Amino acid sequence: MGAFNAELLKLKRSLSWPVVVLLPVSLVLMGAATQLAQGGQPDDGWHTVWVQSVGFYGLFPLATGIAIIGSLVWRCEHRGSNWNALMSGPTPTLHIVVAKGLVIAGLTAIMQVVLLISVILMGKLGFGLPGMLPGQYVGITVLLALMALPIAFLQSALSMLIRSFAAPIAVALVASGISVVALNVVGDAALASPYALVTRTALLGTGTFSDPGSVTAGDLIPILAAAVFLVLALVVASTVILERRDTRV
Amino acid sequence: MSSPPVTPPVVTPPVVATENLTKTYGGRSVVDDLNLSIPAGCVYGFLGPNGSGKSTTMKMLLSLIQPTGGRVQIMGRPMTRGTRRELLGSIGSLIEAPPGYAHLTGAENMRLVQRLLGLNREQIDDAVRTVRLQDQMDKKVRNYSLGMKQRLGIAMALARRPRLLILDEPTNGLDPAGIEEIRGLLRRLADDGVTVMVSSHLLGEIDKTANVLGILSQGRMIFQGTRSELMTASAPDVIISCSDPQAAVATLRPFDARHAGRSDVAIPALDDQQTAGAVAALVGQRIGVYGVRRDEQTLEDVFMSLTAGGGL
Ligand SMILES: Nc1ncnc2c1ncn2[C@@H]1O[C@H](COP(=O)(O)OP(=O)(O)OP(=O)(O)O)[C@@H](O)[C@H]1O
Ligand SMILES: [Mg+2]
Repeated sequence: MGAFNAELLKLKRSLSWPVVVLLPVSLVLMGAATQLAQGGQPDDGWHTVWVQSVGFYGLFPLATGIAIIGSLVWRCEHRGSNWNALMSGPTPTLHIVVAKGLVIAGLTAIMQVVLLISVILMGKLGFGLPGMLPGQYVGITVLLALMALPIAFLQSALSMLIRSFAAPIAVALVASGISVVALNVVGDAALASPYALVTRTALLGTGTFSDPGSVTAGDLIPILAAAVFLVLALVVASTVILERRDTRV
Repeated sequence: MSSPPVTPPVVTPPVVATENLTKTYGGRSVVDDLNLSIPAGCVYGFLGPNGSGKSTTMKMLLSLIQPTGGRVQIMGRPMTRGTRRELLGSIGSLIEAPPGYAHLTGAENMRLVQRLLGLNREQIDDAVRTVRLQDQMDKKVRNYSLGMKQRLGIAMALARRPRLLILDEPTNGLDPAGIEEIRGLLRRLADDGVTVMVSSHLLGEIDKTANVLGILSQGRMIFQGTRSELMTASAPDVIISCSDPQAAVATLRPFDARHAGRSDVAIPALDDQQTAGAVAALVGQRIGVYGVRRDEQTLEDVFMSLTAGGGL
């Protein structure tokens, strides 16, 4: 797909890369900081290291990270005449929307891998934990990368429509806050929000908030269904809006 | 004797045609009832002072903005949001400022165009060589001069080998040699059959390249045609030098004559027949006629008087 290949090229020298690496690394460090200072091993071993970093990461840092990536990926299009050039080429609007969303989602997936590696390194090198991170957390990492797709497409739409760099990031912060509260109050009904979706996924198996502590297929089905529906709805909505929109410069 | 067979002129439909094209912003018509017609293979000079609506018109041709009223036809097909992506494949354009991703090099920007449009290496190299940017390709666009950016923008527009090229003030920021180069380039492209629409607020800049001119003033088309039609449409004054200009003005009152300094009398909008009549009238009144000539008028004067007066 031409549009997607072109997007990959635009990532060269992009500021997205430092975000993708620094955000998860610093979260894992922050999560482990107290324990590291006190010395000794975390009570519940790997589980504790995971909950302290990923559990927190899912509350709002992940959504914020995706929002920053979204704003960075769209920023160059809002500069100078690039918007006009993009919209006066033959690339179908749908391809533009999908390519941008996938690039944001792809960078987010890389961010999850960095997170996973950071947690493993912290467990092994920081705390000298025996064994390996339980396999279910690898599964949750994969799931988290997939569940981030709706936010990637939503933030992409926001950064496409709003020229401001900061505004879409502020939206992500506020919306994550609201979604965390909603998850506690109304439970799975909150999954209509992409932000609640990643929070719920990051909490899988942690036993915190509304999570029972074990992962079952029954937990996954509503999450997966919500993700698929949200991505489709967002792609259609963004394409229709972009197709109708007039250039403003 | 039979006369040679008459071949009817080949009537090719215009590449760009608009019908009552209008754009209003907040109740103000920025482009007003425009009927543009750009013949195939010409360089169409789109002229008008700042704010006259050139960019707005070009954006409507590309469907970057939707018209408030009227229609756009490109290569015989209506240009709408539904058809634009198909048509845009054969239209190269540059609106207001040259595009280009600042964090990428010139070469990377061109490779991007190549991937996006599915072009081959040769098309890219050709376009770069055409604008003479081959030695600047490894520099980041952030560090380009305005002239280099302009060239890169033109190369990006040319790479797809367009049938129609829409360039909004492409010589902005170019040095005189660069302007001359672009002129030559536009002529060559037109000779190869590409239809070129180029805007400017300076007549002198496209006067030598354009064979058809469209002049815009406050959103309205005040002239559309060839250069010579433009000169004729605004026929210059006839100047008669004579022995008694006061008496001559009185004699030629029906012709709207006026004293134009020293021994000169100026008479507007006279054809050859009327000029002969005016001279005869003066001679009849025993006024000595020293000389009769047409006022020297450059295209620039015509342009200025057209755009200042708001119409012909
Ligand atoms: N989005 C907009 N909203 C309101 N007014 C607009 C908008 N875009 C353009 N205009 C107005 O339309 C008029 C024509 O603008 P346009 O950019 O088409 O002129 P132009 O002929 O290209 O001028 P220049 O030679 O300076 O480039 C201007 O008065 C401008 O202020
Ligand atoms: Mg303009």
